[in-house]
Amino acid sequence: MHRISWIIVTLVFLSATWAIAKDQPKFKSIEVKHFPNAEGVELPPEFSDYLYAELRSTLQKKKLAEQFVGEDEVVDAADALNSVILEGSVLEYKKGSVVKESLIGFGAGARSLRAHVKLTRRGNKEVIVDKEIKVRAMARWDPKTLAKFLANSIAGELKHSD
Amino acid sequence: MQTRRLLCFALFPLLLAFSAAADEPKPTPDNTISIKLDYEIKPQSFPRPLKFFVDRVIDRSANPQPMRVLKERGGVFLDKQPTEIVQQALQETLQKSSLLASDAASADYVLTVYVFHFGLGSGLGTEYYGKVDLNVVVKDVKSGDTHEVTALGTSVQGAAVRKKNILKNIEANISEALESALRNFLRGTKLRDVVSPTEEKSSETPQARLDESHIGNFLYEGRPSYA
Repeated sequence: MHRISWIIVTLVFLSATWAIAKDQPKFKSIEVKHFPNAEGVELPPEFSDYLYAELRSTLQKKKLAEQFVGEDEVVDAADALNSVILEGSVLEYKKGSVVKESLIGFGAGARSLRAHVKLTRRGNKEVIVDKEIKVRAMARWDPKTLAKFLANSIAGELKHSD
Repeated sequence: MQTRRLLCFALFPLLLAFSAAADEPKPTPDNTISIKLDYEIKPQSFPRPLKFFVDRVIDRSANPQPMRVLKERGGVFLDKQPTEIVQQALQETLQKSSLLASDAASADYVLTVYVFHFGLGSGLGTEYYGKVDLNVVVKDVKSGDTHEVTALGTSVQGAAVRKKNILKNIEANISEALESALRNFLRGTKLRDVVSPTEEKSSETPQARLDESHIGNFLYEGRPSYA
């Protein structure tokens, strides 16, 4: 009986420790920069600001950092080593086609966006994430949906980065 | 007959105008929100003690109704003009950090703030997205030099359907966006570069220190060309 109670206490302690470790932010601070559009990318003018806002909001919700620094804000030297800068650019945007989507289906004619994302450590300029991400949405949906999907994909990448 | 026809033509636009005016939402205590800073903003530390004076806050949003933030769902209104809200928030923040000068003469820098956007941006469906876009002209009182510093604050809250939640989300959105914009200005590297000239700034990287000392140029010029 005494042994079982000890096992239960140990399990509770371990699960609590695991939960605390899981909730701890990965970085001290994240600075999100605006994603400029590559040449030839025609997105609505408000898309860039919306993507910036959505990225900040999603990263905050996922608790990836203790602080969310605005673009070009000063970071204390002591925090620089575990602080990161998230930057990128929109490489390609396809409006999609409602007709194709209705006639063919199976993802044909979908709206899509391809972006390059780079996560750099502030202190030693170490590149943590450097990859291209592609997101798709229905052609009928608002282009801003792509910003939401992209922000979620980036947050997922950051969460699983080393 | 002719007079009746003329009367009809004259009354028709008036009726249209009246019906449009009836659709326009009016500010009431139930649809009015108050924007306040929830958290204290800590400005960056400057190499020498500085004082700022907020001279004017000018609306450059080209919005004919700057106090109306939402037209749909009976409208959502601000209790004060955006310029007044920005001025008050900036002054309070500077005051709390002992950076506010009592008048322009005793200040090191005089600030003129241009409000380019204050309120909601075009969001996605029922989700509201707050945006505050400022352009601050920082004038050095001694030299008379002026520099522009831009500041942007955004916030996205969850979707809302009920009017009560819409009001709550919009208020949180704009408050957070204002806070981010002011933090972006007061903790920004642009402001640091304006108030601390290049020679006073301590270089962060060895390469930057090398560039500043012009040793790199000397070495480069001294190196034989293999071209």
